[in-house]
Parts: sequence; structure tokens; C-alpha cells
Amino acid sequence: MKLPREATLRGIATFLATFGIGVATYIAIADSGGGSPVCVAGGHGCQTVAESSYSHVLGINVAVFGIVGYALLLLCAFLRGDGARMGGFLISLGGFGYSVYLTYLEVFKIEAICQWCVASAVLMTLLFVTNTTRMLGYVGREP
Amino acid sequence: MSGRNDREARREERLREDEAAGAGGRRQLLIKVGSAAAFLVLVAVIVAVVVSQGGGSGGDASNVKETSAVDRLLNGIPQDGLVLGEPSAKVALVEFGDLQCPVCKGYSEEVLPSVIESRVRSGEATLEFRNYTIIGPESIPAGAAAVAAGKQGRGWEFVELFYRNQGAEDSGYVTDEFLTAIAEGAGVPDIAQWNVDRKDKAVVREVEATTAEARELGFNGTPSFAVEGPGTKGLEPIGTPGSVAALEEAISNAS
Repeated sequence: MKLPREATLRGIATFLATFGIGVATYIAIADSGGGSPVCVAGGHGCQTVAESSYSHVLGINVAVFGIVGYALLLLCAFLRGDGARMGGFLISLGGFGYSVYLTYLEVFKIEAICQWCVASAVLMTLLFVTNTTRMLGYVGREP
Repeated sequence: MSGRNDREARREERLREDEAAGAGGRRQLLIKVGSAAAFLVLVAVIVAVVVSQGGGSGGDASNVKETSAVDRLLNGIPQDGLVLGEPSAKVALVEFGDLQCPVCKGYSEEVLPSVIESRVRSGEATLEFRNYTIIGPESIPAGAAAVAAGKQGRGWEFVELFYRNQGAEDSGYVTDEFLTAIAEGAGVPDIAQWNVDRKDKAVVREVEATTAEARELGFNGTPSFAVEGPGTKGLEPIGTPGSVAALEEAISNAS
């Protein structure tokens, strides 16, 4: 299979990270107002997940960590060179691993699904695939 | 002339090969470094998971969690005091618990919801919470507050919400502010009356009486369960069944 051009991968990562910042910011703003994100598809999943004890780590909403992660991934997508390739891969790996854990919590512990969290997990998974392809395909090569 | 050109061509080719080999070596090295760093990132994720599992030390009056989950669990099931379920149910399952007990919290979150859905909501059994205050001094005002909430039909909401927001044992979190936050989250309609009731000596005596009853039944830990029905001789202690299936079997045997 032909490897996509690095510029294409960086463009995809830019789009996904920007979208991710939007989703995580919405969740964080909804929580900071004392409420919860509104599930567009209806149901109480978003409220249940937002009110669960798992929605905060050390008193900070998980979505805030998401904003930081997506912002770093956006920076890596903008930058050229091996540092950005490696950084994008490692940050997206961490984000993907934590997204898997959060999805496990939703399904098996909280027993509710928040579509905003699912959207973020899908975006982080796609970012992981994009950044892994970029790292394995282009690291050690000219920017 | 031609010999010199050949030598230059070979030299350039060698240089290109050396450059390619250098770049390939650097690439291999970076991929190895990346793999090692990926391992470290995964370790960091595991640490983050462990930290978040302990996350939120609980006992935070300004951050009462899971009110909607508790509402959904109990929605539509009748209550009388701290008895949950249809009064016509043949079997009574009684939990002797301490609101400060972390094992009771685990039962409240992992075991009892299934029993409530399968046996209490169906009208087969009632589930009663009785205070067995063994953790420490803070257990008594907590238990009295639950009894007082039960007087306004929100006893089980109070118990479940307390468990889900429980702090560290006897760490001083069971304050008036915390209890009030739980009562408000539980939907106790008249907080002023609840405040009067929870400090009423009769309510405190009730907490002490159920604690004495638990000891008489031979219990020495929480949560402990007892069951009463057509198949039992009065209230029979069943200890601490370790699973939903074991509690359901005890209910079936008592009916």
C-alpha cells in the first residue's frame, strides 16, 4: 500500500486535533457551569457520565486534560521534523490508551454512554493511527 | 581522462551509499527510541488510570456526584422509612451497614443495584437499611441523618448518595455541610425538618438500637445481611454473601 504524503497526514492530524479541541472544550465548559453536556441524540448518558466520580482526576475535569492533549497534537501537526513526528506519536498513544480506559469505564462501570466522550475517543483513535503512520513512515527522513 | 571520470563517479556513488546508510541507521535508531518512549507512555497511562481510580477522595460537600444515577436506580420503587420496595413483598432482606464503611459502598455500587432491579422492583422482596455503626463516631450522625431522610420518603436516596460520595473513614468529612449536601442531592423536601429530626434523641436511639440488634444477630462486620420470609424462622442472619447470585438465592430460599 502506498504511504500517504507527510503533508497529507499532517493536514488530517490538524483537522482531527482542531475538532478534538472543540469537543473537549464543550465538555469542559458544560461541566464548569455546574451542568453536563447535552446528548444531541437524547437520553441521560452525558449527564450520568459527567456526574460520575470518574469524570474528574485530582479535582480536574478529564476534558481539561483532553484540551491540553489535542492542543499539543495540533502543535505537532503544524511542526516539521522528527521531534514533531515522535511527539505526535507518543502523545496520541497516551491519549488513545486513556480513551480506551474511559470507554471501558463508561460501558462497564458507569453503565452509560456519553456521545461527546465517544466522539473524542474516535478522534483520538484516528489521531493515533495518523501519527503512527507519520512516525513510522517518515521518521529519520528529511522534513 | 576517462579513468579519472570513472574514479569520480565511483566516489560519488560511495558517498551516496554512505549517506543512505547513515540516514537508514538514524531512522532505525529513532524507531527504537520511539518504541522505548512508547513503552514509557503506556506506563504513564497505567499510572494515570491508577490515580484516577482513587480519584476524588470523596466526602466533598461542594461536589456531590451521581445524583441522577441514584434517582434512576430507585425511581418508581415505593419507600417507607428505610424500607425499599412493595409493602406486600413476601421476603424482607435487611442490610446492616455503616455509611462510612468502604465495603458497604462497594456493595451499594456493585451488588445491590442488580438485586434491587431483579427482586425489589419486581415486588418479590423489600430491602431495608439498618444502621450498624462500627466504624467510628462519625457513623452515628450519618446514620441518624439517613433515618431522618427516611421520614420524608428519601431514605434510600440518602443512603445510596452517601455511599457514592463517601470520604475516608472518620476523617472529619461527616459535617453538617456534607450531610446537608447529601440530603439536598437526595431530594429531601424539607431540609429544616430533616435537621430537627436527625438531631432528635429518638432518632439517635434508633441508630443505637439497630446497632445493638446487629450484635445480637452475631454480626461483627459490615455489611451484614439478614432475611425474613415464609421460609425462615424470623429474621435469619446470612452474613455477607459475596455476590448478586448469593443474595438472590437467599431471597428465593426465604420465599
